[in-house]
Amino acid sequence: MTLIASLAAGLCAAPILAVAWLALTQTSGDYLVHLAQTRLPLYAWTSLKVGVFAALGAGLIGTGLGWIIARMEFPGRSVLSWALVLPLAVPAYVAAYAWLDLSHVAGPLKAWSFGLFPTVRGSWGAGAMFALVLYPYVYLLARNAFSGQSADMFDAARTLGAGPWTAFRRTALPLARPSIAAGMALVVMEALADYGTVSHLGAPTLSIGLMRAWSGAGSLVDAARLALVLVTVSMIVFGLERAQRARARSIQASGKHRPPVRTRMTGLRGWALTGLALLPPVLGLVIPMARMGWRALYELPAPGLVDGTWHSLVLATSAALIAAALGLGAAYALRAGNPFGVLASRAAGLGYAVPGAVAAVGVMVLLSGIQNLIDPAWRQLTGEVFPILLTSTAFALILAYLSRFAAAAISPAETALARVTPSLDGAARTLGASPSKRFWRVHWPLIAPGALSAMLLVFVEVLKELPATMILRPFNFDTLAVIAHNFASDERLGEAALPALLIIVTALLPMIVAARYLSSRDLEG
Amino acid sequence: MAQMRPDTALITVRGAARDYGRDVPALIHADLDLHAGQICALLGPSGSGKSTLLRAIAGLERLDGGQIQCGESLWSAPGIHVPPEARQVGLVFQDYALFPHMTALDNVAFGLTGPDKNQRALDELTRAELGDKARAYPHELSGGEQQRVALARALAPKPDIVLLDEPFSGLDRRLRADVRRRTLSVLRASGAAVLFVTHDAEEALETADTLALMQAGQIIQSGPPQHVWFNPVSADAARLVGDINVLPARVDAQTVDMVLGRFNAAGLDDQSAVDVLIRPEGLGVREGDRFLVIDRAYAGASVRLTVEDETGHLWHAMAAHTDAPELRSRVDLELDTRFMRIVPRR
Repeated sequence: MTLIASLAAGLCAAPILAVAWLALTQTSGDYLVHLAQTRLPLYAWTSLKVGVFAALGAGLIGTGLGWIIARMEFPGRSVLSWALVLPLAVPAYVAAYAWLDLSHVAGPLKAWSFGLFPTVRGSWGAGAMFALVLYPYVYLLARNAFSGQSADMFDAARTLGAGPWTAFRRTALPLARPSIAAGMALVVMEALADYGTVSHLGAPTLSIGLMRAWSGAGSLVDAARLALVLVTVSMIVFGLERAQRARARSIQASGKHRPPVRTRMTGLRGWALTGLALLPPVLGLVIPMARMGWRALYELPAPGLVDGTWHSLVLATSAALIAAALGLGAAYALRAGNPFGVLASRAAGLGYAVPGAVAAVGVMVLLSGIQNLIDPAWRQLTGEVFPILLTSTAFALILAYLSRFAAAAISPAETALARVTPSLDGAARTLGASPSKRFWRVHWPLIAPGALSAMLLVFVEVLKELPATMILRPFNFDTLAVIAHNFASDERLGEAALPALLIIVTALLPMIVAARYLSSRDLEG
Repeated sequence: MAQMRPDTALITVRGAARDYGRDVPALIHADLDLHAGQICALLGPSGSGKSTLLRAIAGLERLDGGQIQCGESLWSAPGIHVPPEARQVGLVFQDYALFPHMTALDNVAFGLTGPDKNQRALDELTRAELGDKARAYPHELSGGEQQRVALARALAPKPDIVLLDEPFSGLDRRLRADVRRRTLSVLRASGAAVLFVTHDAEEALETADTLALMQAGQIIQSGPPQHVWFNPVSADAARLVGDINVLPARVDAQTVDMVLGRFNAAGLDDQSAVDVLIRPEGLGVREGDRFLVIDRAYAGASVRLTVEDETGHLWHAMAAHTDAPELRSRVDLELDTRFMRIVPRR
C-alpha cells in the first residue's frame, strides 16, 4: 500500500518538481522579461478578478442551495438534493459557448431583453460561468455543514430573541463558513486551471499566458516559469482550503445532538423554493445543453467526431481506473499510518492544486529530460535517433491527468474507508475471517460506492479537461474537448456544438451516479 | 377575560395538538397551566410528546389544534403563531445547544441588548460561579459547566417563563443531584414560571411543585407530586411515577373482591372493569402460606420481594432488611389501604 501511495505521490509531485527545476535553473529567453514588462500584471489582475467573481458567485449560489436543501422541505427536494450537483458535468467552456452565443449582440437574449441583457464576456462573464457550473463544490460542503449542525442551536438563538435571518447570520452561517470557504477555494483552483472558458470569453488569466508562452513563443522554460507562478498561487489557495477544512472539523458541535428537522414549506412558498432551487441547474446545465443541441441541429457533424469520442472515452476510462486504484492505495496507506505512506499520500493530495497546463508542462519537461538521457546511448547502440515515444503517445497524457486528478480520488477513498472502523476489523478477526475474506466481505462492500463515485468523478474531469490535452496530445489525436475548442476558437460555434454536447451527455450519466452517492452520504452519517 | 390574580396561571395550554403527519400524532390533547414562581415537571416516557409540548410553548412548533395563551395574549392556535423571538421564553436544551463558535460570555450575551450587555452577561456567569470561564469556548468546559452556561444564557434576558428539556440527563449520576439542587435554587430565585421535562420519576417527585404526567400525546394527570403518587387516576399514571401492583378486577355490588380481601368500590359502576392499584410500599409480609417468594432484591435499607399467589399473579412487596423472608419460603401479604386505589380500567 505504501508502494502505491508512493507511486501516486511520485506521479503528482514529479511534474511540479520538474517545472520548478526547469524554471529555476535554466536561463530564460527575453520572452519572460518582455512578458513581465507588458502582460504579466494583466494576467495576474485578470486571474484575481475571475477568481473573486467565481468564488463569490459560487459561494452565494452554493450556500443558499445548501441551506434550503439541508433545512427546508419542499416539492422535489429529494431529487434536487442530488440534481443540483449535475452542472459539474458541464465544462465551463461549454457554458461559455452557450451563454456568449445567447447574449452577444445578435443573440436572442439581446433581442428579447431589448438590448438590456449584458453580453457574457470578460472577467465577470468568465466568473459567472464558473459560478454556474462549479457552485456544486460549495453546495455539497455547505449542505453537509448545515445539516450537521445542531438544530437546537438554531432554536436556542430563536428563543433568545433572534429572528430567523439573524439566527442564520449569527449562528448557522459562522459555523458553516469554513466549509463554504473550502468550497470556494476549490472553485478558485478550478477557475485558475481553466483555459477554454477564459480564452473564449476574452479574460486573459495566467493560464492563457502559459498557453501562449508554450504555443506562441514555443519556450518550455518560459512556460515553466509561468507555470511556477500559477501553481504557487494555486497552492496558496489550496493551503487556505485545507486550513478551512481543518477549522470546519474543529468547530463542529461535538457529542450527541438533535439533527435539524427540515421546515416544511407548503403551497405557494414551497413551489417558489422549488423554482428558486431549479434556477442554478437550469442556468448551468439545461440552458447550455439546450443551446448546444439547438446549434448542433443546423450543422453537419464535423469529421473526426467518432474518433474524438473514442479517444475521449478511452482516456477518461483508463485515467479513472488508475486514479481510483491509486486513491484506494493511498487511503489504505493513510489508514495504516506508516509515516512514509502518509507523507506520500498527502503529497499526492497536492495534485488538486496543479492546473492541467502546469501538469502538462511538467510532464513535458520530465519526459523530454528522460528522452535526452536515453538518446545518446540509443544513438550509439543503434545509430538512429531515439523515437519520440514518450511525448508522442497517450502515455504522457495519462500521466498528466493522473498528476492532476489522482488527488481527486484520494479523499473520497479516504472518506469511504473511514466507515470501516477498527472495531469492524476487530469483529471480523475475532470471528475468524481471513484477510481476503475481511477485504471482500467487510471492506469492499463498504468502500465500493465511494471508490466507484471517485472513479466516476475522475472520468468526468478527464472528459472535460482541455489545456493539458492540448499540450500533450499526440499529433492528430483529438478529443471531444479539443475538437470543440478548436471550432469555437475559429468562431465556428455550430460545429463546436455537437462535440460540446457530446461531452455533457457522456458526463451526465456518471455524474448522476456520483451525485446520488455524494448526496446520500450525509443522510446516513 | 379574567383579571390577572396571583393564582391565575401565567401560561395556559388547552387542548394542544400537533400532528407531524406521521402515523401517530406527537401531541393529541394537552392541557397545562404554569404559574409564576412555581416549578412544574412534565414526566413521561420517551416519545410521549413532552418535548413537543415544551417546544410548542417556546414557539418552536406550531399547533394544529387547541391553543397556548400567555396572560392576555394568544401565542399559539391553528393559524396563529407568535414567533419564538417575540415570546421571551428562556429555553435550556437537552444538549445545551451552546454556540460552539462563541465564548461562554458571548453565549450568555447573545440574548441581551444594550451597551452594558457584556457586563450583564458577566454578572450572570459570575452568579453561576463561572466568572473565570468567561473567555472559554464550550468545548473547553466540562458537562456541568456547559449546563450552567446554558442556564445562565436562558436566564440572562430575565424571562418570565423558563423551559428546560431534560436538563440533567446529559450529566453523570454523581454530578446530577448537585447540579439539580443548584439549578432549582437559581430557578426559584428568578421567580419565573418553570417547566422542565424529564423521564426520571424520582427527579420529578423530588423537585417539582406540580407534576404533569404525559403519555401518548396527552396529559393524563397533574397535581402536586405527592397527590399524584398516592392518587393515580389510572394504571398508566401510577406506573409513570413509581412501581405499582396492578390487579384487574370487576365491581360487584359496590365492592371488589380479590385475593387480598373485599374492598369498597362505591361510586364505580356496577359490573364495570377496574384496576386495583397498590404501591409495593403498601404491601408488607407476615407469616402465612398463600404466597410464594420467588425473588428478592436489595433496595437500600429494604428488600423488594416478588411473590406469587395461587393464580400465578405476581406481586411486589417491601420488607425490612432485617426480617425479609427466605427465597422459596411461603408468606402472607399485609395491605396498608392508604397505598391502594381502585380506578376504572382504561
